[in-house]
Amino acid sequence: MFKKWTVLLLTLCLVLVAAGCGSKNENEENNGGAAEAGAKVTVNFMHLWPEGVSAGQNKIVNQIINEYQKEHTNVTIKQEVLDNEQYKNKLKVLSASNQLPDVGVTWAAGFLQPYVDGKLFAPVDDLLGGELKDKFVAGTTEAYNIGGSTYALPLEFNIAPVYYNKAIFEKYNLKAPTTYAEFQNVVKTLVDNGVAPIALGNKDRWTGSLWYMYLAERFAGQETVAKAIKGEESFKNADLTKAATEVQKLVDDKAFVKGFNGLSNEEAKSEFLNGNAAMYLMGTWELPNFTTNEDIPKEFRDSVGFFKFPAVDGGKGNANSWVGGPGVGLFVSENSKVKDEAKKFVEYFVSKWGEQSVTGAGVIPATKVDTSKLQLPQLYIDLFNEMNQASSITLFADVQMKANAAETHLNMIQALFGKAATPEKFADEHDAAIKKGS
Amino acid sequence: MSVGQMDAGAMSPKAAFAQKIGYAILYIVLIAVAVLQLFPLVWLLLFSLKNNQEVFNLPPFAIPTHPRWENYQKVWEAGNIDVYFLNSVWITVVSTLLTVVLASLVTYAITRMKWKLSSLVLGLFMVAMMIPVHSTLIPLFSMFNDVNLTDKPASLILTYVAFNMPITIMILLGFYYALPKEVEEAAVIDGCSVNRMFFRIVFPMTSSVIATTAIINMIYNWNEFIFVNTFISSDKFKTLTVGVQNFIGQYTTDWGAIGATLMISILPILITFLFLSDRIVEGIAAGSVKG
Amino acid sequence: MDKVMSNKKMIALYVLPSLLLILAVVYIPIVLTGYYGLNEWNGIGSMKFVGLDNYQRLLKDSVFWDSAKHSLLLAVFSLISLIVYLAIAMVLAAKLRGANLFRKIYLIPMLLSSVAIAQLWLKIYHPTSGIMNTLLESLGVDNPPAWLAEPSLVLFALFIPILWQYAGFYILIYYAALKNIPTSLEEAAKIDGATSIQIAYKIKLPLVMEVLKVTVVLAVVGSLKYFDLIYVMTNGGPNGASEVMASYMYRTAFKSYDFGYGSAIGFALLIICLVATWVIRKLTETKDTIQYS
Repeated sequence: MFKKWTVLLLTLCLVLVAAGCGSKNENEENNGGAAEAGAKVTVNFMHLWPEGVSAGQNKIVNQIINEYQKEHTNVTIKQEVLDNEQYKNKLKVLSASNQLPDVGVTWAAGFLQPYVDGKLFAPVDDLLGGELKDKFVAGTTEAYNIGGSTYALPLEFNIAPVYYNKAIFEKYNLKAPTTYAEFQNVVKTLVDNGVAPIALGNKDRWTGSLWYMYLAERFAGQETVAKAIKGEESFKNADLTKAATEVQKLVDDKAFVKGFNGLSNEEAKSEFLNGNAAMYLMGTWELPNFTTNEDIPKEFRDSVGFFKFPAVDGGKGNANSWVGGPGVGLFVSENSKVKDEAKKFVEYFVSKWGEQSVTGAGVIPATKVDTSKLQLPQLYIDLFNEMNQASSITLFADVQMKANAAETHLNMIQALFGKAATPEKFADEHDAAIKKGS
Repeated sequence: MSVGQMDAGAMSPKAAFAQKIGYAILYIVLIAVAVLQLFPLVWLLLFSLKNNQEVFNLPPFAIPTHPRWENYQKVWEAGNIDVYFLNSVWITVVSTLLTVVLASLVTYAITRMKWKLSSLVLGLFMVAMMIPVHSTLIPLFSMFNDVNLTDKPASLILTYVAFNMPITIMILLGFYYALPKEVEEAAVIDGCSVNRMFFRIVFPMTSSVIATTAIINMIYNWNEFIFVNTFISSDKFKTLTVGVQNFIGQYTTDWGAIGATLMISILPILITFLFLSDRIVEGIAAGSVKG
Repeated sequence: MDKVMSNKKMIALYVLPSLLLILAVVYIPIVLTGYYGLNEWNGIGSMKFVGLDNYQRLLKDSVFWDSAKHSLLLAVFSLISLIVYLAIAMVLAAKLRGANLFRKIYLIPMLLSSVAIAQLWLKIYHPTSGIMNTLLESLGVDNPPAWLAEPSLVLFALFIPILWQYAGFYILIYYAALKNIPTSLEEAAKIDGATSIQIAYKIKLPLVMEVLKVTVVLAVVGSLKYFDLIYVMTNGGPNGASEVMASYMYRTAFKSYDFGYGSAIGFALLIICLVATWVIRKLTETKDTIQYS
């Protein structure tokens, strides 16, 4: 009897190996004939919009792929879907073995850099000159430009307003603040009345970075912030130090929810959604939760407003300058065997994505959309208008910096908020990390 | 007449009373802990019946006013879950069987047979469990890629067997050392071959520890997701843990659906566990060949 | 006997398949990790050989040593908890009414995946609505701490779910070991008038000694390379207060794109495990092992 088991197991192993060899041949058939025009071509596309949770995006992706396959009968688009975290890990492992998918999702600037340095992403400048010329919102493709070439085409464009709960504000007779002094007063009034002013999930760290970046911009002005991040200006700059000090002052004033350094953004968001916290600084990707998401009580959705991060008295920044930036973009692998097909698909995808993504998934696309023709919730229209009036956009710090410096920045943000680092140490560590490069 | 009764009979009434109180306290503690240990399952069930709002707003053990069974429907309809499920089952079963059998053979050779290199080989197996998983991802991927095993279930099975082998051998080791040698000695004198001895005598005698390692291997393989995500890209080869991912978005996560997926995926191992767990007790009885 | 039991062919047949598998699937990555550790590499571009630079950096890296300290602390706590698990296993293995049912229930949490366990404990530790703080508040504790945000508490707050998560694993092993002891031994001792404590200490303990030694190694190695719950629940924060070696390795390699240095951390972790195991083996070495008979 036991012999039978052993034989069975050995057979199983053999079958497995055989199966492995069998499907290998299939793959080769698919990729082999790419060069011949009209031959069957498979384009591998890796993205992070699973059907379960990003139903809107997923549906649009499938629609676009279906249409594309109908128009190009020789092309098959093969999708692989992963969640955000797993996606980033896999991208890393694949690139170490030079096995990137033909088309994939990437982030801007700092995230992009190593892939460009390693010559893994193909420049897509030719696409910008073609059908997509002048279709992008100003400032979006620039974030994907490294050394004069553009390496990915952006799909989203986000800015971060401060959302607030109008019902809570009304109850305590508060108005959306237009100056920083008013903002401080709002915080004070709410604290005095036992309401948590701001929902912040700083376990994720980039969330706290938004607060610091706004304060830095408002105190020091957009140029100084940009220079400091490039390493052309020290973080010890008096205005930047003021921003870091102000962060700690807000912590002292109990402006943020209890235990914020141990809460995830998800948990913090729920504090805002259930009316426990009055304000929430977050990207425009949250808009569906405040407008169309049926899971959230209508009463709450109707009471969400937003204000611009107020200007600071005597500061060098202004309220029309936003922290934000393009979200994800599409890259084409430099070593793809079907590079031309992949590029054509990316061009097609980006041109179709724009309008559909606003109405279908509540995404604010990086391509220009004529909003007047679309039926959109008021909050979207207001934010679109704000975007058009924006004086400048400061890219999310962790996106802007190189990976190594970004990690230091994020760690120091948590330390600053947790009062484990002084503003001086915060500045020193930043300068050191940025100087070191990646 | 049992030994226990004899003891009690010899005890004074006072001592017997004290013993009763002792048992009562023991049972109260045992039951309290048991209830605590059952809470996670209850919690998971309730969790799977809530939407995000309720997950975060209601107390963890509050029963949702409107239980959202549609979470389960969502999970089933989100596609491929049946494929994932079957993959999970067969990959777990094959890996677990291979690991337990191979590890038993190795442990037997190390503890029972006489050869110079045995402690070195044991050392090699032990060191193999000290490497952090994430260090191995890039080298393993490029290795499997070179031999064309990426995106094949074989890559998973080989990895699961190799990574669980050391811990399985370690557990078996403790048991093998304590096994009496007389039975084998007698068998050898009777002219029994090594194979026969292992499969007919030792393997059955160790059935309780085999059940133990099988349970442990099964749980590890069933819940594994890092290797699946890294090596497998085709939907047709992915496993249930990937189902959870389907509900983690870039900015939001559908917790209720994740709960439902976890609930669905815990049932098969719960059942297998309850079955295998009884095998542990039968262990020595079934294996006793003495007499 | 010796002739049969030192048959080279049989030994090779039994050991080689597994050994080759381990060498290919585990040792090649170990060697490569060691090699990457000698390079400056972001995991994408070309490698630059830097010799022992990464290890020099490691020696001076206070974050690494803090994380090593946290991992060692976890190992110590795991060792202490082994005693508790052994005691529980002894109770469950005793001839109690319902012991069988208790055993099954006690082991159920170990079936849960880390994802589920992390979510459960996040709900327990939530600073305002968590079970823990709700309970403390109802007991009159004013302003209970935010468990996962407090650098001085976070590590211990994480140890509880970690130890709980592994309880089933060890109880299961101990239980099987105890059940493996022939009942005849215990009965004989009872007839000789031994109390149950004496039986536990004098008979059962020595017989499960080998298993105990193994679990000590498993607990230490497992703690030193522990990753799951810490990564999900705190991501090593706040400010590195709950960073352990494996999470630091992961962060360095996969988030900071410093794969060379990350590999050096991974390799150092391996060496620390190796040293710890060697020490344990030395400390627990005994001349002869006891068998049931």
